[in-house]
Amino acid sequence: MTSDFLSRRELLSRCGMGIGSLALAQLATGPSADAAANNPLLPKQPHFPAIAKHVIHLFMNGGPSHVDTFDPKPELQARGGEKLSDGNLKTERPTGELYPSPYSFQKYGESGIEVSEIFSHVGECVDDLAIVRSMHADVPNHEPSLLLMNCGEARQIRPSFGSWLTYGLGTENQNLPAFVAMCPGGYPIQESQNWQAGFLPGIYQGTYIDTKHTQIEKLIANIKNTRVSRAHQRQQLDLLAKLNQRHLEQRQNDAQLEARIQSFELAYRMQMEATDAFDVSGEPQHILDMYGPGTQARQTLIARRLVERGVRFVQVWHGNGQPWDSHDDIEVNHRRLAKQCDQAIAALIKDLKQRGLLNETLILWGGEFGRTPVVELPKKGSNQGKINGRDHNHWGFTTWMAGGGVKGGHVHGATDEFGFKAVENRVHVHDLHATMLRQLGFDHEKLTYRYAGRDFRLTDVHGTVVHDLIA
Amino acid sequence: MQTRCVLTLSVLGLCLATPRIGGAETEPSIAPEAVEFFETRIRPVLVERCYECHSANAKEVQGGLMLDNRAAIERGGESGKALIGDDAKASRLLVAMRYNDESLQMPPTGKLPDKVISDFERWVNIGAPDPRDGPVPPPPNSIEARARKHWAFTPPQLPETPAVEDTNLVATDIDRFVWARLRQSDLTPSLPADAHTRVRRLYGDLIGLPPTFEVTQAFKAEPSAAAYEKLVDRLLDSEHFGERWARHWLDVARFGDTKGYVFQEDRNYPHAYRYRDWVIQALNDDLPYDQFLQYQLAADRLVDDSNRAHLAAMGFLTLGRRFLNNTHDLIDDRIDVVFRGTMALTVGCTRCHDHKYDPLSMQDYYSSYGVFLSSREQQDDGLPLRLVDKDKPVNVRIFVRGNPSNRGEVAPRQFLSFFQSGEVKPFASGSGRLELAEAITSRSNPLTARVFVNRVWAHLFGEGLVRTPSDFGLRSDPPAHQALLDHLAVTFMEDGWSIKRLIRRIVLSSTYQQQSESRADAAAKDPENLLLWRANRRRLDFEAMRDSLLSVSGTLDSTVLGPSVRIDVADPSKRRTLYAFIDRQNLPGIFRTFDFASPDTHSPKRPNTTVPQQALYLMNNRLAQSIAEAMVSRLTGQVKTAAKIRQFYRFVYAREPTEEELAVGTNFIEASDGSDADSSIRDPWQFGYGSFAAGSDEAVTFHPLPHFTGDAWQGGPDRPDPKLGWVILNAKGGHAGDDESHSAIRRWTAAEEGTVIVSGKLEHPSEHGDGVRSRIVAARGGVLGEWTAKQQTLDTRTEPVKVQPGDTIDFITDCRTNQSHDTFHWSATIRMAKPKRREWKSETGFHGPLPELLDVWARYAQTLLLTNEFMFLD
Repeated sequence: MTSDFLSRRELLSRCGMGIGSLALAQLATGPSADAAANNPLLPKQPHFPAIAKHVIHLFMNGGPSHVDTFDPKPELQARGGEKLSDGNLKTERPTGELYPSPYSFQKYGESGIEVSEIFSHVGECVDDLAIVRSMHADVPNHEPSLLLMNCGEARQIRPSFGSWLTYGLGTENQNLPAFVAMCPGGYPIQESQNWQAGFLPGIYQGTYIDTKHTQIEKLIANIKNTRVSRAHQRQQLDLLAKLNQRHLEQRQNDAQLEARIQSFELAYRMQMEATDAFDVSGEPQHILDMYGPGTQARQTLIARRLVERGVRFVQVWHGNGQPWDSHDDIEVNHRRLAKQCDQAIAALIKDLKQRGLLNETLILWGGEFGRTPVVELPKKGSNQGKINGRDHNHWGFTTWMAGGGVKGGHVHGATDEFGFKAVENRVHVHDLHATMLRQLGFDHEKLTYRYAGRDFRLTDVHGTVVHDLIA
Repeated sequence: MQTRCVLTLSVLGLCLATPRIGGAETEPSIAPEAVEFFETRIRPVLVERCYECHSANAKEVQGGLMLDNRAAIERGGESGKALIGDDAKASRLLVAMRYNDESLQMPPTGKLPDKVISDFERWVNIGAPDPRDGPVPPPPNSIEARARKHWAFTPPQLPETPAVEDTNLVATDIDRFVWARLRQSDLTPSLPADAHTRVRRLYGDLIGLPPTFEVTQAFKAEPSAAAYEKLVDRLLDSEHFGERWARHWLDVARFGDTKGYVFQEDRNYPHAYRYRDWVIQALNDDLPYDQFLQYQLAADRLVDDSNRAHLAAMGFLTLGRRFLNNTHDLIDDRIDVVFRGTMALTVGCTRCHDHKYDPLSMQDYYSSYGVFLSSREQQDDGLPLRLVDKDKPVNVRIFVRGNPSNRGEVAPRQFLSFFQSGEVKPFASGSGRLELAEAITSRSNPLTARVFVNRVWAHLFGEGLVRTPSDFGLRSDPPAHQALLDHLAVTFMEDGWSIKRLIRRIVLSSTYQQQSESRADAAAKDPENLLLWRANRRRLDFEAMRDSLLSVSGTLDSTVLGPSVRIDVADPSKRRTLYAFIDRQNLPGIFRTFDFASPDTHSPKRPNTTVPQQALYLMNNRLAQSIAEAMVSRLTGQVKTAAKIRQFYRFVYAREPTEEELAVGTNFIEASDGSDADSSIRDPWQFGYGSFAAGSDEAVTFHPLPHFTGDAWQGGPDRPDPKLGWVILNAKGGHAGDDESHSAIRRWTAAEEGTVIVSGKLEHPSEHGDGVRSRIVAARGGVLGEWTAKQQTLDTRTEPVKVQPGDTIDFITDCRTNQSHDTFHWSATIRMAKPKRREWKSETGFHGPLPELLDVWARYAQTLLLTNEFMFLD
């Protein structure tokens, strides 16, 4: 990058392009206040000093089972096959008797919090986790629950968390998208609505990246020019700067003209920076080994690289569709899914920690809901002939956070003895959002946007900060 | 007894009375003596001693009690009734006056004379006869009271056109309004923009396309008012006018080609384009705006066999998101688009509670809800879904707090109650949709015309007179030019709601034709240009930008009307951007990047952002490049550099270049000459055939393979190629050629200096033949490895080797003694450890023919298209 700047300057002086270099000198000192008005992504101050500056949301879409991962239930293990005396809570599909977890749990860390064998790597980091075992949502269906988790509203068009955050904070690196949503192989269900800007300006929308690909031009639109070399493009932009500067001089200062002049220089730098950010091949072998093999590892490592470079919100989806939706064969499926990401997630926590970035990065792990402790009954056309899975469960489920100033080695709330319903210190999705915003420096009731005659916010008219989760 | 009957009758009369405000009062049926008693003994006391705190004209009403009329007294205050029947003893009014109860003493300044108190006791005892009819007046500062005075909620009256002393720059009445207002603030208008700027502005605003050089030249030669007017009329007559302005309306209508999220059904609205076509046509035909709206809301009731084409207009209601067919959300979307779109009212806010700021209630929401619930969808072939009235219309009960399972009072189907002039009347015909449309387009509707002229103004000036185009409620700022807004609204209606003539009036004004240059003195007083002392410089919106690019390159397909086309695919359509397929669920990034209106809900105005992704698109996207090339091929018969540059300036800016611009351009062209070959951006992999001769200087002879099948490089379309034989290279490997001089060669070229290690796996899968021989040969270092594979898989790993930029490493495979069964797989990875870790994989690096590099003229043309001059209208 440096050499490009040098060569550009050399070129300018050689060609005697006085005007162009004047414009570029301005750029080098950063954007003027006027020009900043047009760029809604420049960094902004939150309501109060923030602990966390970035978010990585590890989205286990489909709904991971809490009783098989982070919410061990001895009663469930002991009473497998029994019917619940009060009947089962209503979920999406018919369910039957108590179905014990096929996995064993083990205590980890100084806190001694129990974690399932399928997340043994994450278990090693349990002293960094604030585990919320009393989450609840509104309905047992994917679509509304995904939107609730992402946008704070189940049906209507509302901006996503990442959009609100970039609206509130801008971003630290203008050469990269402020809000990145990675999902290998295509969209999750509800598709790009999960990272929608809603009624906020479209620029706050998440940039979707299909991490199945490794080539940069397939990851970010228009990032590479296949028909103009970089040196030639530099010449083009120098000519452009000159023509634009002349145009600007003939007009009274105009912030929007200036802003657009700058945007080309930003774009030029973005080509290099974005290419670099998504290319993990430059990581040392011990880091690559730490994250492990596979797509999950690569995208989790990319998440770290993005946060490191100042990206505000990174969402890491497990995969297209709803991979964690184990209506049947849960033992095999959950084990397979956890194996794909367990090591990488633990690596992410350790890696951020060793770089001193964990405190300013808020990691959220979880799905749109959890799964029932009772077995799902077979249904024609879906899990026909199988009695070895779990249905959706919005009554109670688990998410955990790490970094960003949350209390490590801590369990908040509890589900009932079987893990069906959150009963103690219940945390609704709105409360989770309010708490996360708090860690990012916002009073969730004051981060608002005027639209259609009223002030909207992520938590609508709900949400209470859960102070018990904060270190 | 008699008076009591009188009172009962009068109360009854109140119940039956029409709640008309300011209407004729009904004759009071009170005995004349009672009236006289009230007028002489009671009213003066109320006025002098009570009204200060207990009247609709009070600054603030205390205790919620107003004494303005019979109804108000009857209602009482927050603590309950003021009067209890004819019982003076128990009535709170008297309790307060008597000063016996310490907590309730009125008036607070001191007890009234006993005489007065006894008058009031008598008055109450005879039944409190009160000739003051009418409903309870709205309390001061209540939403309703403020709404009655709100500038946008009273029907616009034609304001007197102000006199202007200096008529020098006055072209139309619009200018008189603007100049007079400017003068009030000690400001002066700006001079007219130059001819070139005015032509570009007109073209951009009226048809969304740039003028040609010939057009600007002709106008500059004779820039008279008559010539300008002629130009305006020509553009208004252009069929591209409807295209440009249709897109503005489609923003209002949250138009899209898809249903949003669906589970399994087809997500497309296959006939959505027919609605767009209808809008284009309606605008080109100058369909009066009132009818334009009526068809969109109730075409089902307005068409007969002669004009069935208007049914497409109902796409306005039906082409929103489908919300997985949830009725409540579908209707909510329709209520929102109708009321924000046409009347700038946020009725949608009242789904769960009465409006916090505007005179809108849940009753209003659910009376509109009933209208839509009483309509059903009907599919006609080839048209968007339309609504028709159900046989049995229904009224719904309001959903308490928006919850459908908690029903409150019935909300009869009717128009917004605050906006009904005269009696509140329920709709009587079918669902009521037609009556709704009529109420919206009524001359007495205070909002519809104002809202629309404001939208038009915003498209011509960059900002509306009212800066919240879809919220004219109590919280909106009053326009700096209120008289002008009313003038425009009234003349618009009087002129038969003609959109074209409205636009014509505006663009013929000197106000519109002003320069956009800022002036320090004026900017200090009015930095936002609210008062219109200059024009606003505006960036082309997404459609105008893309259309202009296509237009200046001569590649625009200017066909009008028709189905949606894809613009975000490998071979994008060259039609105007308005015809682009709008997938509202997964709107391609390019739309959002350029501030396109979200198709999810009604869009009041587009955001205006400047971000590097916009620059990246113009720098690197295929479209910008193909447009630059098209411009090069548009050059006619010119060989000299200066002449070519001149032509480019005519294409792009519709003007001649200055001497300086010629010099800068020439400099660019000449400085770049001869430096076109630059391999650094090219992919490092090449695919060819040739031979290897150990020991000689040119050890590897490499010829590129000439034919690409889509997944393999080979000698020609046939296998084997008559000339080159069997030699093939694909992503995984290939097939060795017929002899050693036709070995398959995959070539990698280093772009940077470093040390590399090559690893990989060579496989010969066939059970037949004699296998293949593979070598890795480096330009610096010679043969790095040699392997022979026959029905087996081998590791092909080399020692580290140093490379300089331009050095090659060749992967050469020959057939050994015979070429049969010589298919091989060879995946290789080249890893660089220092100075920077990088790797190249043969499999992912495989590619077809690379696009040609842009030559210097194309690069020059592209640069001109990136300029601010091209992207902004002064």
